[in-house]
Amino acid sequence: MEISNILKEETVNLELAVSSQAECLHVMIEGMEKAGFVNDKAVYLAAVNEREQKGSTGIGFGVAIPHGKSSGVAAAGLAFARLAKPIDWNSLDGNPVQIVFLIGVPEKDAGNEHMKILIALSRKLIHEDFRKKLLAVNSAAELYAVLQSI
Amino acid sequence: MIVEGILQNKTGFHIRPAQLFMEKANEFKANVTVRNEDGMEADGKSILGLMTMGFEFGSKIIIETNGDDEEKAGNALLELVNSKFGEE
Repeated sequence: MEISNILKEETVNLELAVSSQAECLHVMIEGMEKAGFVNDKAVYLAAVNEREQKGSTGIGFGVAIPHGKSSGVAAAGLAFARLAKPIDWNSLDGNPVQIVFLIGVPEKDAGNEHMKILIALSRKLIHEDFRKKLLAVNSAAELYAVLQSI
Repeated sequence: MIVEGILQNKTGFHIRPAQLFMEKANEFKANVTVRNEDGMEADGKSILGLMTMGFEFGSKIIIETNGDDEEKAGNALLELVNSKFGEE
């Protein structure tokens, strides 16, 4: 799983200024639509919200990984946001979130893409160096480089 | 104590199971180490560590507990795995 293959320039948000989880997801899903990953934003958002209600996807370390498997998704995709100011995500460790990775996979998730993306991401996120670099990237190109670095 | 289980929930070991496992492990004093069949290991009290393991439906999960309450911890964690984390 090469994360950079499923991340497009349209789905990269640096210094995103949002004040809530809902606003953050709205902007990220717009990007997923522009990149062609999502064809029905409302249906996909409902799946993401439903998942979030079962338990926060804020895994700690200032990182959240919201995700949804949905018929509103045309092709597996990933969006990244670094927030200008951390926001509350009801995280497991109680800390606000500044890094958000949004995963979208089609309803018929052939080959368990969702888990592959999640595993690949967590194997990178576990390194503190990687998390620090995510907080420092200044362009989509730099983000790609960081994603390929570990 | 070392116990072994098989992951039986269809969607695999994603964020929610990892969270439930970490919370259960943290109820005990014993150190918890989780291994997969490839010899990878992770701290059973770290959600991110657990998510890196790549457990899928049918994967063997090896749980090692060390400490005063290791037996209770091992049994409780195995029970959680066998319960499919409340999923299908």
